[in-house]
Amino acid sequence: MPSKLPNWLKIVLILAAFGLVRSPVENSLRRKMNTAGMLLPTPGHSAMAQMGQSALMGMLGGLRTLVATGYLLDSYRHFDNADWDANRKSLLLATYLEPTEESHWVDLVWHRGINAPAWLETRARLPEIEKRILYHEYTRDAIELGEAGLKNLPKSVEIRKQMAEVYREKIKDPCGTAKMYKEMLGLEGAPMYANRFYGYFLSECPGKEKEGYDHLVNLYWEGSHNHLPTLIKKILVLQEELDIPVPLWIREKDPDAQKQINRRIKKPKPLPGGIVIP
Amino acid sequence: MTTFTETRIKIPMFSPSRVWTIATGTMTQLVRMKTFYFLLVFAVLVAAIGNIDIKSASSVSQLETIKKVSFGTMDIFAWLYAIVATALLIPRDLEDRTLYTILSKPVRRIEYLIGKLLGVLVLIAASLALMFTLCLLMLAYKQSGFIADEIKMLQAAPNVTTAEIEEQVKLIQRQGVRPELAVAALASFLKSSVVAVMTILISTFASSSLFTIITSIFFFLIGHAHGMMTDFWLHKTEGNLIIRMLTKVFKLLIPDFQLFSFSEGIVIGAEVVPRVVWSMGFLTGGYLFVFLLISLMIFLYKEF
Repeated sequence: MPSKLPNWLKIVLILAAFGLVRSPVENSLRRKMNTAGMLLPTPGHSAMAQMGQSALMGMLGGLRTLVATGYLLDSYRHFDNADWDANRKSLLLATYLEPTEESHWVDLVWHRGINAPAWLETRARLPEIEKRILYHEYTRDAIELGEAGLKNLPKSVEIRKQMAEVYREKIKDPCGTAKMYKEMLGLEGAPMYANRFYGYFLSECPGKEKEGYDHLVNLYWEGSHNHLPTLIKKILVLQEELDIPVPLWIREKDPDAQKQINRRIKKPKPLPGGIVIP
Repeated sequence: MTTFTETRIKIPMFSPSRVWTIATGTMTQLVRMKTFYFLLVFAVLVAAIGNIDIKSASSVSQLETIKKVSFGTMDIFAWLYAIVATALLIPRDLEDRTLYTILSKPVRRIEYLIGKLLGVLVLIAASLALMFTLCLLMLAYKQSGFIADEIKMLQAAPNVTTAEIEEQVKLIQRQGVRPELAVAALASFLKSSVVAVMTILISTFASSSLFTIITSIFFFLIGHAHGMMTDFWLHKTEGNLIIRMLTKVFKLLIPDFQLFSFSEGIVIGAEVVPRVVWSMGFLTGGYLFVFLLISLMIFLYKEF
């Protein structure tokens, strides 16, 4: 018996039935791919509002990575021209499009926190007050951007390394630097020096000197692999500064003094012909 | 006296060899359209992007750029080729009257449709394989150069340990040639397969190639963006019921192409989950089956 349903209705019904079957499967796959990072998260509304028409069309056409690369290349151009605001905008759009791409966040913090302040330092004509305001603005912004990056990539060591550099080199904030190194501890890919650096900078953080000293001493007693000149020197200085009881002092010679002695007793190289100049 | 005896030849319901004959014919037809010139453009693009020296970019960023541009271009080529090539096939066969010759022979309409689709898919696969090889060669060449430069530079620098050099080399290798990249190329193929079958479906009722191309691109864009558009509309209208119903209808009827864009994550370094890739393969199979079935339902009743 022929079916009474018109062909178009049958087609719509098949499409809808298939849609109903595949919808939960697709939703589950989307979740799994988002978790694994295989699928990039949807950009926020503010990102779409800031994008140009062609970039938006490119993104809607499935060319997100290409559009993001375009913005990245654009940011290099702005970097060459020392146009820091344009550089920031391009890189920020790249991060909106690829929020899980670590290098965009690292670049953003690096340009904003290191390059832009370094450029300011070389501007002789800029009034000092303006320089100071901009310097503060750039470095603070770098930290905020880094924190935004860490919200997207909470396990990122590279973003933390870059933020630590900004804190250390530009903001001169040992507490912030120590915080970054501390957060790196236990993360996959953390550098071997992170634990020591945490102690070095914590011992320079006002009010946290003793905590920093304790951390360094613990590292020292962990084994000879940690008996590095900087660590020993730092402990020697701190034990005097913090009035640590002498029985608790570490019995090490000052590496700097040792270096000076070595330098003094170092025999000069003989010149051709065996002539030695003392 | 001559006697005529009626001979009945049994025609099998479905013959893979007939499908393959149509597929090879389709491939020849497409190759004659000189669409492979695109590969030359791709080669030039890969060579150009590989030789751009971005001074302010690190070697890792440069490798990433090469990868993204190459794989992005591969993706565009695959879906665009799927739309244009598929959209041209049935109308051209109609114009050339080839369709009448084929269908007057013992060829079933489903065999014709599958053969056409297969021809397009084989060509897309071959093109993707070629482009992938080109891209890998460029990546491998640049990667070895960057690693050699990095080692030379780090060895010259004071206080750099072997472990630090190894760490830097690993960082470059992570953005270079990886087996996972083959899955990224596969993702482009899966996406273009769904696009091709959707275009075949449209071309069974379309009046011209132009209509098919425009409609397919339109559906492709909607399929790519409906997730984002749904979020946007629901946000703007504060979850309006009509908008919610409309977006559900869109989702039911149009393929979700955004889901097939998982090459993007892999290219930037995400780990591949094999089970998810298999599931995507099965999902593509589902799309091919259902869309071919619907295409056949239309094509069966089409009068030529």
